[in-house]
Order: sequence, then C-alpha cells, then structure tokens
Amino acid sequence: MGALLRLVGVGGVIAYRALFNWTTPSIFVGTLLVGPLFQLFFFAYLGREFGVADDRFYIVGNAVLTAALACVYGGTMAVANERRFGTLGHVLLSPRSRTAIFLGRVLPYAGNGLLIAASTLTVAALLLGLRIPATALPGLLLALATAALACGFFGLTLGALGLRFRDVFLISNVAVALLLLFTGVNVPADSLPAGIRAVGAVLPITHAADAARRLAGGAPLGDVLPAIGLELAVGVGYAVLAAGLLTVFEAESRRRASLDTL
Amino acid sequence: MRTAGPTHRFPAMGEHAIEAVGLHRSYRSRTGWLRPQRREVHAVAGVDLAVGHGELFGLLGPNGAGKTTTIKLLNTLLVPTGGEARICGFDVVRQTREVRRRIGYVFGGDRGLYDRLSARDNLRYFAELYGVPGREQKRRIAELFELVRLTGRQDDRVEGYSRGMRQRLHIARGLLHRPRVLFLDEPSIGVDPVAARELRQTVADLAATGTTVLLTTHYMAEADELCGRIAVIAGGRIQALGTPAELRHHADGRRVLEVEAYGVTDGQVAAIRARPGVREVSLAVHGAAQVLGVQSDAGVDVQANVLRELGGVRLGRVTARQPTLEDAYVAIVNRAAEPAAVAGRMPA
Amino acid sequence: MIAVGALLHVKQLSRSPFEIAIALFVPVVQATLAVYLFRAGGEPDRLLEAAVGAGLMGVWSTVLFGSGGAIQNQRWQGTLEMIMLAPRSPALVLLPVTLATGITGTYAMLATLAWGRLLYGIPLDFAHPVAFPVAVAGCIAGLGMFGLLLASGFVLLRHANALANMLEYPIWLVSGMLVPVTALPGWTGPVAAVLPTTWGARAVHEAASGGPVWPALAVCLAISLACLAAGWALMTYVERRARVTATLALA
Repeated sequence: MGALLRLVGVGGVIAYRALFNWTTPSIFVGTLLVGPLFQLFFFAYLGREFGVADDRFYIVGNAVLTAALACVYGGTMAVANERRFGTLGHVLLSPRSRTAIFLGRVLPYAGNGLLIAASTLTVAALLLGLRIPATALPGLLLALATAALACGFFGLTLGALGLRFRDVFLISNVAVALLLLFTGVNVPADSLPAGIRAVGAVLPITHAADAARRLAGGAPLGDVLPAIGLELAVGVGYAVLAAGLLTVFEAESRRRASLDTL
Repeated sequence: MRTAGPTHRFPAMGEHAIEAVGLHRSYRSRTGWLRPQRREVHAVAGVDLAVGHGELFGLLGPNGAGKTTTIKLLNTLLVPTGGEARICGFDVVRQTREVRRRIGYVFGGDRGLYDRLSARDNLRYFAELYGVPGREQKRRIAELFELVRLTGRQDDRVEGYSRGMRQRLHIARGLLHRPRVLFLDEPSIGVDPVAARELRQTVADLAATGTTVLLTTHYMAEADELCGRIAVIAGGRIQALGTPAELRHHADGRRVLEVEAYGVTDGQVAAIRARPGVREVSLAVHGAAQVLGVQSDAGVDVQANVLRELGGVRLGRVTARQPTLEDAYVAIVNRAAEPAAVAGRMPA
Repeated sequence: MIAVGALLHVKQLSRSPFEIAIALFVPVVQATLAVYLFRAGGEPDRLLEAAVGAGLMGVWSTVLFGSGGAIQNQRWQGTLEMIMLAPRSPALVLLPVTLATGITGTYAMLATLAWGRLLYGIPLDFAHPVAFPVAVAGCIAGLGMFGLLLASGFVLLRHANALANMLEYPIWLVSGMLVPVTALPGWTGPVAAVLPTTWGARAVHEAASGGPVWPALAVCLAISLACLAAGWALMTYVERRARVTATLALA
C-alpha cells in the first residue's frame, strides 16, 4: 500500500516535472496565470455588452473553466510527451500497475488547475468588483478542486488518445474550444440547444461551474452538493475511460506494434 | 535445439535465462490510400535461442535483420505472431509482470530519457516504475552512479549530457531493479572509442556478476571481445550460432585480399566476383580511397586475376591476410542474402 | 520572392491538421458561441457581426500562433539557423511565413461565414459587398506584416509560445473584434488605437454592416507598414544579437 502511494505521489510529481512543457516561470505565468485572466475579461465584457447575464455568471464560470487549461494540456503532455522523449517503451516495461502510474500523473495537474482557477477567480473578482461572501469560500474551493480533478482525468483521456493518434495538440486545442462552448460557461444553459446541453452534462466543468455560481450567489453548500457530486462522477467516468484506453492501446501495441515504444 | 511441446507448459525453472522456440513476428503494412495494398513483412521468421544463466550472448546482423524485433519480442513489448519465448521460465506473452521484474532493457541512441530532469530524478522515477522499494532506492541509485561513472554529474539535467553519458545513464536505468537478464540493443551506437571501451568494461563487469546479457551490436570487435556465444541473424532467421572461434570457421579455407584503390567501377567489381575461386567481394570507402576486399578459396591465388581486372585503376597498398570474425560475418550474411542476389544477376 | 515564399508556406500550413484546426475548427466554435450569445442577448440582427467577428478572431489566432509557431517549428527542425545563414535578409525570409499565416486566416473567415449561413441561416448581405473582400484582404496583409514584428520578437525569446498563448485574448478584446471598443474601460482606447488589428477589424466590420471602410483600412495598412519597418529593423538587430548570445538554436 505504501509502495503504491509512493508510485502515485512521488512518481506523479517527478513525471509532472519531466513531461509538462509549461513549468518554467515565464511560460507558467504567461500561459497559465495571465492568459486565462484575459480570457475571463474577454467573456466578462462580452457578457456586459449583451446583457445576457451578470458579472457573477461570467467571472465565476470562466474562473472554473480556467482549471481546465493546465489539466487538458497537461494531461495530454503527461502521456503524449513520452513519445517525444522516446521513453514510452521504458515506462511500459514497468511491472507495476498502469492505472497507478498514469492516474498518479493526474494529481499534480489537478493541483495546478486548482491553483490557476483560484487565483484567476481572486484577481478577477478584485479587478471587476465582484463580491463573494466569505462563507462561500470553502464550498467554492471544493467545487474548484472537484472541477480540477475531473479536468485532469479528462486530460488523461485525451492524452491516451494522443498516444495513438498523431498531432496531440490538435486534440487538446479542439477539446479546449469545445469546453468553451459546451460547458455553458459563457452562454446561459437555457439559451443553448438541448444537444449542446446534453454533451455538456458529460463534460467536466459544467456541473462545477453551476455549483460555484450558486455558491458565490450565497447558496448554502448543502444545496450544491448534488452538482459537485455530478462533477465528481464525470471525473471518475473519465478516469475509468482513460485507464481503459491505456490498457487497450498497450495490448494493441504489443500485437500490432502500433505505439512508438522506442 | 529444443522443440515446442506440451512439456513446456510447465517451464523447467532455472534451465535457461532466455529461451525462444520458433519465434515469429510479421508486420502488416498498408501502402496506398485509394487502393490499399497490404504487404506482410516477416521481421522475425522462426528464431530458436537458448541462452544460459550468466551468459553474455551476442546477436549480430545487418540493419533490418530482425535484431530489435527479436529483443522486443523477448522483453514483452511485442507479442509474437508465432512460436513462444520464456525469460527465466516465464512466458513473455502471458506472464508479463514476472518477466518484467527480471529484465532490464537498454538501447542505443540519445532518446529514451527525460531531458528536463536530472539524471538522479530520471533514476528515481524509473526506480518507482520498476518497483525498487523506497528505502533501497537512494543506496541503489548512488551505487549505480558509481558503477557507470556519473557520480558528480548526477544532479545535472540530462539535456546537457553527452551521448556517452546518456548511454551510461541508460545502462544505470536498465540495472535499477537488479535484473537477471539484460537486453542491450546496440548500446555503443554513436559512442566515441574511449567511451565505447568503458562501456565494454561495464558490460563485462556485469556479466561477471552473473547477469545474463543479450547484446546486439554492429561492431565485430565488440562482439568478439565480449560475447561467449554469438548468433548471426539475417532475414529474420538465425544463420549461424556459436562461439566467436566457431563462427570464424565459416571463413575457413579462405584468404582475404585487400586492395587500396582509387576509382573502381561497379562493372569491375562484378567482373572480379565472376572470377573462379572468388567467394565474396566488398567495396568500402575510406577517405579518398576505396578498399576492395576479396575473399577467395585459400587454394586459389586470385591476386593476379584481381589486379588484371583493375587494369587502369590507380592502386595503393595490396595485402593478403587470414580471415577475421568480420570476414566470417560478411560470409554468413551474404550467404543468407544469396538467393536474391542470384536472381538479380545476369546469366553468364 | 515574397509571393513564392508565401505560397509555399500556405501550402505547408494547409497540410498541417494543427493549423487547419486552429484556422477552421476553433473559429467555428467561437462563431457558434457568438451566435448563441448574440441571440441570448436579444440582438438577432447583429448575427452577421458575430460571424465576421469570430472570423477576425480566427485570423488573429492564425497569425499569432503561425508567427510564434513558425519560429518554434524552425527551431525544432533545426532550420532556424539555416534561415539565418541564407544570403537573404532574414526579414525577407520570415515575411512570407507571416503573410502565409494571414492567408490561412482567410479559411477562418470563410468558415465562420459559411457555418453561419448554412447552420444558422444568417443572411450574408454585406453593406458593401465589394469593399468586404477588399477589406478582408487588406486586413490580412496588414496582420501578416504585423506578424513579422511579432515573429522577430519571438526569435529573441526562448519561450515564444508563452507570449503567443498570452496574447490571443487581449488582442481579441482590445481590438474590438467581437466586443465594441466603446464597451471597454477608457484606458484601453490608446492601446487599441495603435494596434493594426483594431483598424483592420473596424474596416471589415464596417464593410459588413455599414460605415466608412476606406479610412480605417488605410490606417490599418499604414500602421502595418510601420510595423513591417520596425519588424525588419528588429529582425536585423536580432540576427546580430542572436549570434552574440547564441540563443538561436535553443529549443
């Protein structure tokens, strides 16, 4: 058990440092802290211009969405960069549980996503003048953490796909754009067609953004727990999907030499 | 040679470190998009091997002969399309976890390491992956840095490492979990002569401690110096197997004539090849000069004929010598390629 | 030389699924988002503006990531040094690349318009049907030249991508591609006024929904030419400097 925790914890952190392209200070600040803030401003002003919803809707929703950035790109890199370094074969030679190895890699990205979302929310709320009740903070943190974890597993699923298909960043760019539209972060759900809402329901962010908005509006934690639970369920779903894909691809690779194991 | 049979369902433990019977691997490739044409390539076409514990075994062959595929079949990265193989008695297809606990894998080239991490972190990560217990890791890693002579540089990022250093780090990684069997796939590729010599020393030390080593290499001298036994693989099949001394017999009864020349044409090479008594002709380029190697039956003196064919070409040194392991290797590999060569040759 | 180079790079970019996705897929998603937003905001008459705005955003993204990516890709392929070694001025070598990224940006514009027309039935009745393509072409040429200034800045930086990732949304926002400039805080005004993207976007929007197209387009091209000159000078400086500090080959 201790050894398994080590593999998940220590292994996850080393792999994060090894495989995440964006750990250098300049790129971390630029891409993961300042960039998302501008994204939030863009949509907040867009929302103000059209009067579709209030500041809280846009600020809180987009802040939750920023958790996805590090997770989606990071999750993709966590698996697909093995190809760049030519290390995949050595990882696959491990006699240990694939699930533990790869799920452990998600945790640092999820932590990263939480940090980004929390800092974006703080800065944006201060700059745009959104008041959030102090009592809502623990609940918000829980919602953001759940969103980050769900995004991490979502990213891992994309990474698993990236292992098999070329053009990894194509997948993550497309995924990030789709999250923008389908999670209903920028258009109120009742203005979106049912199809988009249905897809959004099985994507990360959607339920957490909903929960976070209601919390920021003063709803008690008890009221939003079902939404947080749904977000968690989505995350677990992607974890299972990612583990399944990785297992299938590894087995397939041994049969058909389909992965670049060197 | 062993044959596959029901008796092997319960592997005889401890008999051989590496055992392969009728190992076969084919790839299907598709060319064309509108009208796809399927082609089947037999990368490994029936390999039988039995390597004893503690043996240092060489696998030699030209590029594309099936060396790397053979290794990947043995180390579980690929599943054979036919035949079977066992490592320390464990089946490479089904008992992957047991096999992986017992093997290390090192390949040449400068990829396969996390460039952004220090050497120590690379080893720490793979120590986790390869199941080295937490409390042993530190000691084991320090020990390995000592062994591969990277002590002092272990906290530098790998991106700044030279090829030789990367290669030694590869070896340290391969040894982390004290594997019983080590696969070394062209470890000395692109390594300078001094580093290559150190590498050979490390490999020899390993074998001395009882680790079974399967080594592939292009360098004949390396194989000659290190390996107890050598298998020459070409066209996906083992063409010859034995000690270096035994393999040299493949060139028995031959002599080698080496002619330094400037401007030998393909036509002249073909003409020399057609001369009676000539077995192999090779043409290599060394700087400005060409070196023409002619293997012939020892009883026939081909020198006069060769020099006559080279009339008009400026010549340098001409030497006659006894065949080396390399000549034997060339003879074996060329013999394997013979049918194709005959088919392509014009009728005399 | 510039034309041939640009054409070649357009071909190269058109074959990369990554560039195509950036140029086609992402703008279409943005356009969809904009359409729903405009609809929810009760402004169904401005849907054409939404499609055009999303197209402009796409053009900017392709120029930004194209210029940033061009340098990065050349670094990874090891061809950046080759380019610098070429007997031509390095700016002359890079300009076709950035122009080409602008031209692939037209895919974004075409895609959002087609998407809006087909899926949401947005009527493509431009106020100035002749001026619109001219304005788009002018805007793209301008952004291509602006791209050279970006690219030369990116050559200097090890992490061109960090800057590129950061600059996407602010330019969208400040240049008024989707949100009118007037809706923003006052201090962004001067910033917007010196950006060629602002004037290019204004020209294209005016061509689509009415207004004096030519003055804005003229300002856009004038600023772009200034950027081209600045980019050219910077590139020449960068080339010298990179040789001294040896930052060229670092990936």
